[in-house]
Amino acid sequence: MTDATFPSDAARIATADLPRNPAQRALALNREMDAVWSNDRGLWGQITSVSHTTLGLRFMATAFVFFAIGGILSMLIRAQLATPDGAFLDTELYNQIFTMHGSIMMFLFAIPMLEGLAIWLLPKILGTRDMAFPRLTALGYWCYLFGGLIMLTALLFGVAPRDGWFMYTPLSSATYSPGINADVWLLGVTFVEISAVAAAVEITVTILRQRAPGMKLTEMPLFAWYMLGTSVMMLVGFPPLIAGSVLLELERAFGWPFFDPERGGDPLLWQHLFWLFGHPEVYIIFLPAAGAMSTIIPILCRTRILGYGAIVAAILGLVFLSFGLWVHHMFTVGIPHMALAFFSAASVLVAVPTAVQVFAWIGTMWKGRPELHLPMYHILGFFLTFVMGGLTGVMLAIVPFNWQAHDTAFVTAHLHYVLIGGFVFPMMAAITYWMPLITGRTRVRGLGEAAFWIILIGFHGTFFIMHLTGLMGMPRRIDVYPDNPEWIWLNLTSSIFGFAMTIGFAMFALDMLLQMTLGMRARRDPWRATTLDWAMPLPAPNFNFASQPTARHLDRPADEVMLALARGEGVLPGAPRGRREFLVTSVGAARPDHVALLPGNTALPFVLSGSIGVFVLLMLAGLYALAGAALIPVAVLIWVWARGLAPRGALDGIEVAPGLTLTVHHHARQSLGQSGLMALLVANGALFASVLFGLAFLSVVTQGPPAPLAMMDTTRALWTMVVVAGALLLGMGAVRGEAPIWALTGLLANSVALIALLAGLLPVLDDPTAHARDALRAVMAGYVGLHVLVACGMAAFVLDQHRRSEIDKLARGAWPHWRLWQDFTTVTTLVTIIALIAQQGAA
Amino acid sequence: MKWLGAMLAGPTLWAVVFVVVYAAHGIICADGLSPSGTSQTARITLMGLWCLGLLAFWPLFRAVPQGVGLRAQLPRAGLWIGLVATVFTLFPVVITSSCQL
Amino acid sequence: MKRMLLILPMVVAGCGGPLSTLAPSGPVAADIAWLWWAMFAGSAVITLFVLVLLVLSLGQPRETAARRWTHGLGLGFSFVVLSLVLGAGLVVGERILPRDDGAVTVRAHAYQWGWQFSHDGPEGAPVESTDLLHIPAGQPVDVLITSEDVIHSFWVPRLAGKLDAIPGRTNRLRLMADHPGTYAGLCAEFCGSGHARMRFEVRAHAEWPPELSEGPND
Repeated sequence: MTDATFPSDAARIATADLPRNPAQRALALNREMDAVWSNDRGLWGQITSVSHTTLGLRFMATAFVFFAIGGILSMLIRAQLATPDGAFLDTELYNQIFTMHGSIMMFLFAIPMLEGLAIWLLPKILGTRDMAFPRLTALGYWCYLFGGLIMLTALLFGVAPRDGWFMYTPLSSATYSPGINADVWLLGVTFVEISAVAAAVEITVTILRQRAPGMKLTEMPLFAWYMLGTSVMMLVGFPPLIAGSVLLELERAFGWPFFDPERGGDPLLWQHLFWLFGHPEVYIIFLPAAGAMSTIIPILCRTRILGYGAIVAAILGLVFLSFGLWVHHMFTVGIPHMALAFFSAASVLVAVPTAVQVFAWIGTMWKGRPELHLPMYHILGFFLTFVMGGLTGVMLAIVPFNWQAHDTAFVTAHLHYVLIGGFVFPMMAAITYWMPLITGRTRVRGLGEAAFWIILIGFHGTFFIMHLTGLMGMPRRIDVYPDNPEWIWLNLTSSIFGFAMTIGFAMFALDMLLQMTLGMRARRDPWRATTLDWAMPLPAPNFNFASQPTARHLDRPADEVMLALARGEGVLPGAPRGRREFLVTSVGAARPDHVALLPGNTALPFVLSGSIGVFVLLMLAGLYALAGAALIPVAVLIWVWARGLAPRGALDGIEVAPGLTLTVHHHARQSLGQSGLMALLVANGALFASVLFGLAFLSVVTQGPPAPLAMMDTTRALWTMVVVAGALLLGMGAVRGEAPIWALTGLLANSVALIALLAGLLPVLDDPTAHARDALRAVMAGYVGLHVLVACGMAAFVLDQHRRSEIDKLARGAWPHWRLWQDFTTVTTLVTIIALIAQQGAA
Repeated sequence: MKWLGAMLAGPTLWAVVFVVVYAAHGIICADGLSPSGTSQTARITLMGLWCLGLLAFWPLFRAVPQGVGLRAQLPRAGLWIGLVATVFTLFPVVITSSCQL
Repeated sequence: MKRMLLILPMVVAGCGGPLSTLAPSGPVAADIAWLWWAMFAGSAVITLFVLVLLVLSLGQPRETAARRWTHGLGLGFSFVVLSLVLGAGLVVGERILPRDDGAVTVRAHAYQWGWQFSHDGPEGAPVESTDLLHIPAGQPVDVLITSEDVIHSFWVPRLAGKLDAIPGRTNRLRLMADHPGTYAGLCAEFCGSGHARMRFEVRAHAEWPPELSEGPND
């Protein structure tokens, strides 16, 4: 690693030499940390916990429960299909069950599972004490749980979604899907996705700003690279789905015709938005699993990973390329061959970085000496399964073959090979590998191996022949096939092996339970690892490290490092100020930057997600006016949340190591909050871009009936836009003033913009139910209005901070955050105005 | 953190060229400029955009830092990823029918 | 590969059936079936290759050049294989596209849950039929596919790939039956509670337009 091209870096503190803190008594230090960092007692303690260890495990445990539920649903599907005239389920129920199987496995198992692993593991492997925003972790968990419960309750009452997990409209529209089934999906999944966006923001910031001092970006554990790729993909990939869901819910609830071809909409817009999310999603699921593999394989092979740089480059390639393949889910909708060829080529090309990783892992195994512990069994299961799934993926990327195989059991087989091979096997490897750190116990021998073999054989027995079933013409999502005796033996075989696989998963769960309850105490660092996750007592305490590791603790035997850190020889030892603190470092070279003070246990995340849940339930009930009113408590709670960050007690500098005093985050030039808001704005920008895509798609590609003549008073609308733009530009200037008078100016400017939108534009907008063009205009006006409203809130918040004298020369309060938001709002508003004028001009 | 941005330059350029060519193709086919699928103007426009995109890699390759170590290698790898992806995913403009279903 | 060719007819016999893509009855479906067998053979070889590498890895540590794995196998090998597959796919894709060559045009209109078909009769007037599509045998046919309500998909596996019926759009699918006969078809895109029953038949006639003794609406 050379610093030749970046001389300024070398001039800064050489982090490798951070001085050692004097050793203390480990037990006393541990007790001091425990008093500050542990959860409250009992059930209340679970509700108020904001600890990444507690919440990460709870995410994973909850995901596993949903996996079991999804698995039971799949057994119902297999029971129905075991015979050609299955009378086990009626069609209506069958449709709900396969829809829920897919939705649960995707949104309530896979994504929360990877979030849980990341939230639990990242701070440990990076050498810090918690995620960047502990309350946000908790908020994400509760949103996930409540959203999931809403969907499960719907299933119990027989009103679950039934249009397939990708919810193609018009089948999912109000006309063809009356009742609340589809609303349960749209609102429930969007509610759950709050947790995905929250996790993505946190993961990004944690990886970039909380690595142990001296852990350079170019030398951090590969798991962190993988999670960085994943979180960036989540920030950009989830907003199209959220946008699509919001538009479809608007169409269902209020008749705004975004997808109705008779009123200028287009059902294909939904498919584009859904798969713009849906394909990156596959890699969002695969990358964390691959990160776990890249961590486990070298340690269990007693060597170092082969081709670190090549793997990082492969991740970079995957992150981008996976956004260029979504149309391969739409090869049969009637798109010109040239466009199909672009996406076919991109879909084929994405196999190259995947191959680089697979061969790097195999090369690592050649280089070292693989030890056949249980995690390694699952890794071998991964290779066998995922390679075959990847190859059928390449086949499906080939346009003519896709025309035959699309929507058949072949695709079902392929996606299970990829998801179980590329996610479930690595996750089982990860769980068995990290279980001693979770429970502090070793496992009971034998059962895990038996579970592995039954799962492996059950899986391949179920899905291998399903390729053939598909090629012999069996489409997806049918419940009976009385005229096709040639499919009977295929389906019966799949069903029998499917039940075997389920037994295997039950044994896996039993193995985990036995380990938790009956296992012997594990010795520290059981795998003789060199990563920081094992450099802590077993089971891992909430705070991970009594003192935080520095450069000298990296890439050393974890057992040695553990002792030094427990004695407080690392930086920022103990909790002498009686509050939760961790070190924040710079993005590239991980130089110590400042100390972040964290909030403690609180029920606020629980209450806030509960109030969002009330909004969702009122929307489901169709009580739209009440739902609107339910947003008021949400806004109030968000204000309370932000007030919770107000400084309490002394804000003096903290000596983290002898001779190195750092400021607290209130005085930092670039706080974690600012980094987090930037990440959130990336997601927000992707949401805005999705809506713009919709505008462009409907204006250019869709050949619907012509829009009715706009009745809108264009002069008045234009003048309103000029006023709004002017006011927002003034706000952009004011936010750079950082003085009370400028805060007031900014508040007034944003209020003027809001009033102009409400009084000037709202009355002259055309009826949004008449045509998709008018509906889109209303949506974009709403988007701008919402952002201006939030800007008003932020200006008021800053003004309030001045009133409370919380802002001085050192502490900038919420000014930097408001500034980011104000700039974003102004830019998106200007883009909106230009887009609307261009659309009007073109028409 | 310049190298981190430089690392994204290549793939980002691919993404831009990909979107531009795909959008141009959509506009051309939607406007019915090429109803039979073999209009030469359409193909030349698309090929022109593609070539412009490929040319845009030239200054990036000139600007990328030389040297060893991941901070120099990753930006270079990023450029190669972008360039290869641009060639590979868009070469169909030369050979496939443009607007034929 | 040679061995593959010998086994092929036997395997195909076991993979038959009225809806089997592996028992093609027209040039479009046959092209795709060949593409499948070629990719299947290649995939089997690659899977075996990876498994052999894995088995060989379970042993003593040994010196191995990193670039051989990441660049040689990861980039080089995969790139060559994938380029070949993509090339084959694009060539076949171009071959089976509809062309402006005066092919017979018939219409398929999907609804929940059935198919309204029509072709031009002897006098040029359209002849309608429900769940039974008439086409000429031995010559290319274009099917114009539309939908009444939700998205459906028109699929006759032994004749061609599938194409969706999307409200607000008209899609054109090229297919051809080598011989007169009856071919099974179905709706491939999930379309609600009648999805599994949304079957139809395609009858290929030696003479065209056909004399339909059963009447227009059989």
